[in-house]
Amino acid sequence: MRRRFICAFAVAVVASLAPGPISAQVRAGDPAAYKPPRAADGQPDLQGVWQVLNTASWDIQDHSARLGTPAGQGVVEGNDVPYQGWAAAKKKENFENRLTADPVAKCYLPGVPRITYMPYPFQIFQTNGLLSIIYEYDHAVRTIYMDRPHLPGHIDFWLGVSRGHWDGDTLVVDAVDFNDQTWFDASGNFHSDALHVVERYTRTGPDHIAYEVTIEDPKVFTRPWKMDMTLYRRQEKNVQLLDYECNALEEEAAGRLK
Amino acid sequence: MNSSSFGSFTAIAAVAAVVWCTPVVVAGQGRTADGPPDIQGFWASQGRRLATYDIEEAADPTHVFLSGVQTDEASLVVDPPDGKIPYQPWARARRTDVREHHTNLTKWEYVDPHTRCFLSGIPRVFYQGTFQILQPAGYVVILQEFNHGSRIIPVDGRPHVGENVKLWMGDSRGHWEGNTLVVDVTNNNDKTWFDIVGDFHSDALRIRERYTFVDVDTIDYQATFEDPKVYTRPFTITLNFRRNVRGEQAKSFELLEEACHEGDQDTPQMLHQLTGAPK
Repeated sequence: MRRRFICAFAVAVVASLAPGPISAQVRAGDPAAYKPPRAADGQPDLQGVWQVLNTASWDIQDHSARLGTPAGQGVVEGNDVPYQGWAAAKKKENFENRLTADPVAKCYLPGVPRITYMPYPFQIFQTNGLLSIIYEYDHAVRTIYMDRPHLPGHIDFWLGVSRGHWDGDTLVVDAVDFNDQTWFDASGNFHSDALHVVERYTRTGPDHIAYEVTIEDPKVFTRPWKMDMTLYRRQEKNVQLLDYECNALEEEAAGRLK
Repeated sequence: MNSSSFGSFTAIAAVAAVVWCTPVVVAGQGRTADGPPDIQGFWASQGRRLATYDIEEAADPTHVFLSGVQTDEASLVVDPPDGKIPYQPWARARRTDVREHHTNLTKWEYVDPHTRCFLSGIPRVFYQGTFQILQPAGYVVILQEFNHGSRIIPVDGRPHVGENVKLWMGDSRGHWEGNTLVVDVTNNNDKTWFDIVGDFHSDALRIRERYTFVDVDTIDYQATFEDPKVYTRPFTITLNFRRNVRGEQAKSFELLEEACHEGDQDTPQMLHQLTGAPK
């Protein structure tokens, strides 16, 4: 009991000495003033059910409404995705064929970071040495280990392999080992298997996480580029993840699942 | 003390504080911060892997021969004592029909939901290889490598979701009774099977699971199935789970992504067979 009290005090002292997050990375609240509550391991507690409130899954860039697509302000810093010449042409072709060519239209896993900004909730769990994120969409799962290096060699995964560390109160996730099959949105923004994603999750208040992503892919882009957006805590009492089993719903709609 | 040595002092003090303050929990022996036993880690069902073929027989000679996997070839069903699922007559007839046609597909109703990459349901999730248990505050979370399945089990006493919500893995609520995790599973859909040969249930299924942590490496699992639309009485199955990754190994082991639907070659073939669609 005494140890618990001293520890709580020590954590408070250490936390008060730790440098705060950089204000430019944060949208909601005053980051310097906000000290996130701590999980059992003493790190910022990111647990809960979260969801975006934006249209990035349809189009990460500024866009007017299209049938079935709400209008939206982009989440790309500067709004420009710096494609190499051939890749800009490929993006245009993807856009023209988007209704059938979008991997999500085939019920495939959406990749990273698109899984974060699909219009479905996800839940973050934190326990010793790892964070696990379970997404309602397609029961996707990412487990982010904090205690080990990346796997050797390239392996093709839909959601890559994620490794995390804490930068002050920010969770930094480094993800590699992607395949070249996913898109960033339903508008044909794409990448290769050289994709390297760095995500930064910073709590800016009781119900908000600033989510910043750096995209790097030397096979497709001329330089790294960034997206940023806010993750909102779902406020409903007893909110929980349900199912969106895309391929089962597709089979059901086609009359092949009674 | 200049600012840089003050920074070093802070860092050293922080590390020392973290080491001293982190509760030491030996897997399976200690208690988590919440009080229940620490059950985190990697587990798998032992000895009855071929239960996935037919839970009433655990295996058939062909599958034992083909796979070489050892099995006790006993029914998972311990109650009733004859090891048979107490189907209502119409339901036994349906299951027999599926069993007879499961290798000769002439309609979608004969196709194993696993073949189409649908979620496993309970208990089938437990005889499909390695699973990982996490114990964040207020929950027990089970992650499965097979088809990246997961179960989120709140252990904080909250009520079930509304009855019209149906879920592939059901809606789980747990509580601890000493070393036993008791889980009530409702809101199941009627689309999952217990095995390859079509053992089934309706959306009235309710499962009561008991996970008893016998020792550091062993879980005795018992589940009772109640479904008045399909069975004449409840029945109970048992399984045994063992830690399958221990000690140092667990520090580099992880579940990898098994993207089932994305690599599915069977459904197009079946579409061709059942509907004449081009391959």
